Amino acid sequence: MVLDSDPVAFSNWIVPALLSFLTSAATLCAVALVGGYLISAFRYGPVGGGDVIYRMVLGGVRDLIALSPRRILALAWLAVQESLRRRVLVGFGIFLLILLFAGWFLDTQSNDPATLYLSFVLTATTYLVLLIALFLSAFSLPADIKNHTIYTIVTKPVRSGEIVLGRIVGFAVIGTVLLAVMGLFSYVFVIRVLNHTHEVDVASLRPVPNDPNGDRAGRTSLAQNHRHTLKIGPDGTGSTDMVQGHFHEVTAQESGDKTTYVVGPPQGLLTARVPAYGDLRFKDRAGKASDRGISVGKEWKYHSYVEGATLAKAIWTFSDITPERFPDGLPVEMTIRVFRSYKGDIEKGIRGSLVLKNPRTGRASDEKFFIAKDFYIDFLKIPRNLTDPTGKPLDLFDDLVSDGQVEVWMQCLDASQYLGVAKGDLYLRSRDASFTLNFIKSYLGIWVQMLLVTSLGVMFSTFLSGPVAMMATLASLVLGFKAQFVLGVAKGAIEGGGPVESFIRIVKQQNVTTQLEPGLTTTVVKWADSVFMSFMTAITGLLPNFNQFSNVSYVAHGFDIPPDAVLVQVFSAAGYVIAALAIGYLFLRTREVAR
Amino acid sequence: MAEVIVETRNLSKVYRDFWGRQKVRALKALDLEIRQGEIFGLLGPNGSGKTTTIKLLLGLLFPTSGQALVFGRDATDVSKNERLGYLPEESYLYRFLNAEETLDFYGRLFDMPTAVRKKRSAELIDLVGLNLAKRRQLKEYSKGMARRLGLAQALINDPELIMLDEPTSGLDPIGTREMKDLILKLKAQGKTVLMCSHLLADVQDVCDRIAILHQGELKELGRVDSLLKVRDETQIRAKGLSESAQAEIRSVIERHHGSVLTMDNPTTTLEELFLSIVRDSEARPGRRAKQDN
Repeated sequence: MVLDSDPVAFSNWIVPALLSFLTSAATLCAVALVGGYLISAFRYGPVGGGDVIYRMVLGGVRDLIALSPRRILALAWLAVQESLRRRVLVGFGIFLLILLFAGWFLDTQSNDPATLYLSFVLTATTYLVLLIALFLSAFSLPADIKNHTIYTIVTKPVRSGEIVLGRIVGFAVIGTVLLAVMGLFSYVFVIRVLNHTHEVDVASLRPVPNDPNGDRAGRTSLAQNHRHTLKIGPDGTGSTDMVQGHFHEVTAQESGDKTTYVVGPPQGLLTARVPAYGDLRFKDRAGKASDRGISVGKEWKYHSYVEGATLAKAIWTFSDITPERFPDGLPVEMTIRVFRSYKGDIEKGIRGSLVLKNPRTGRASDEKFFIAKDFYIDFLKIPRNLTDPTGKPLDLFDDLVSDGQVEVWMQCLDASQYLGVAKGDLYLRSRDASFTLNFIKSYLGIWVQMLLVTSLGVMFSTFLSGPVAMMATLASLVLGFKAQFVLGVAKGAIEGGGPVESFIRIVKQQNVTTQLEPGLTTTVVKWADSVFMSFMTAITGLLPNFNQFSNVSYVAHGFDIPPDAVLVQVFSAAGYVIAALAIGYLFLRTREVAR
Repeated sequence: MAEVIVETRNLSKVYRDFWGRQKVRALKALDLEIRQGEIFGLLGPNGSGKTTTIKLLLGLLFPTSGQALVFGRDATDVSKNERLGYLPEESYLYRFLNAEETLDFYGRLFDMPTAVRKKRSAELIDLVGLNLAKRRQLKEYSKGMARRLGLAQALINDPELIMLDEPTSGLDPIGTREMKDLILKLKAQGKTVLMCSHLLADVQDVCDRIAILHQGELKELGRVDSLLKVRDETQIRAKGLSESAQAEIRSVIERHHGSVLTMDNPTTTLEELFLSIVRDSEARPGRRAKQDN
């Protein structure tokens, strides 16, 4: 997995986030009050308008105090009944069908079947659940208003906020149950699809030449489109090599004069590695300290590059390195990006080296070499016993770690080639967390997205008709998933101009890099675009960025979802739900439901 | 004098289109007072503004000008609903629930504890005679049954004020009779009833006072008995008179012979009164009919 931003620490995030939430809330309240007063003043005069607003605010406070859990739960129960009546279970049926026929469409020859299957089930669940949430939430309240069933609700002591909240809770309950069942099925599906074993091809077993231990090597049978090579020691135990991200343990069992070989289940397929990240700094090609490496002019600004065969280096400093935490040495994992200024041998990666250094004394280990390929996780085990460049023995913890800190210096060895790195690209695999728990955490991410769609759907349905509310929610969803792109267009970072300019380019079949001819038309177009673009910036700023709530890539690539990321997701979702609730309340309260 | 439960002051409602242009003046400067313990009927042809009045009083619509007060509070104040029951024109209930679930649900909206809800639901199902059908989904209900359940939900909170929109529509003659008896029973319990209906005989049977609306204007307001009184005629009902006595009836009146059982003003039917007001209003729009209450 390649991160595209630094991992967020919840403790650093919460205070600014809370401040920004309060500022936005205060701004929205002020806009609502002033806007409301202007409209009321226009209708009832300056004093009458003020009276209306005063009573509105007072009523709002009273409504908040009068919120009744029993009423909210009653309305939630009604929403659940309504969902069941609207055949929400059909959605689950579709999910089962997708799972049943998934095998037809998924690439069984994939190098990384775990990633493939996990991202498939998680993505399928996400889209299906969001779609169901969208339909349920957007049509419910408008249907009640259209059928006049709302009359018997609003003539009871029910507050508008309770109607909105009750619906959100009810649909969230349905979504939760659906997600739980889908999660269980997905889990069983993934485990069962990936589980396999092989037979040992006994005829292929040969003693390893010149092996002092007397190991034998051979290969396994073909299963799930791959086979392994294996090595068995004289004690009858051994293991296979890593293929498609897993290996098997092999044991020989003697029964009489016959030897049978048992190949165990796949291991290492479904993992949740917990990375320990370090702080990154650079040295430029002249060896001077620098915050960033070289920019190679690519769009992806998060990574910066280290030039080959110069003094340029990327240096990570890791803290809290103790023998208790890493008794077997440091398990280093890297996903290094590659930028070539000439093609070279494209089949071969770019060579790099790592050196461990004591940040205080400056003592260094000898170089460990690696070959970097794009989008590929490289493993490097740094043992406890090392040697320095002169060949003298070193102990990792005694000689290279000082105050629990150690530095890892990375260098690119091929001249005029570049290695791209960022903070998250080299880490220590501190431990492996439970895959099952990680899977559940990824479903929590989907749950949060479901809650957001439900809240948005109910919010829009308080003032729009069913189909329009659905379109508005869908638009928010698409904008939320494509927030990065829309913001790029709005800020002018993406070539081709704003919506009007792009449209003109499409009509004229003009490419995105040529300038428009200067003149009145271009001026008008640019002006119209600037209006559109500021509107787009505002909208993307207001809507939730749905990608932020997705944990699919973590789970699919075998990384533990950081608890901080989960907290950030839950808290930011709560902010949006509160906002949707407040807006929904305001619209429903000021709406004449009998019209 | 009894407490005023419902009051409208200069209540007006104008329906506007999306652009704010006036479409219909549904209600024009309505002044009404309904006192505790009376049965008040709102009459009027289709589109006369009676349902608009009820919706304004319930807070389902907001007045364009004027005020609608229920229990002395603004009609848009949700807390008034604690003491109010409403039976809509059609029984707008959730078709996927059964009678017990429906009443339980509405009971929860009044924040009633479980035990109270159970007791109250059972009583009301019994009262409206749906005991045999209480576990059937409402989509299987006939119109009359849905109407009865609609009434039961309106009474779930034992309200002080009950607003009934066309209470007898969809009911058979027996059901109609039972509904009217029930309305009278509610009055006997000291409750206030505001009803609107097209069925004039029903209104005549139960209402103490009525208001007749036409084209959004109040045309008539008063006690039913006094409104229906025909003042320039006298009706005599007698019993036990022989043929000769009957022949002498005119002289009997003159000379005060024979026993006169009743001698008062005969009444017309509400239907005739209603039609004459509507005809009069159409002939002379904007003019209030005779004031006599």
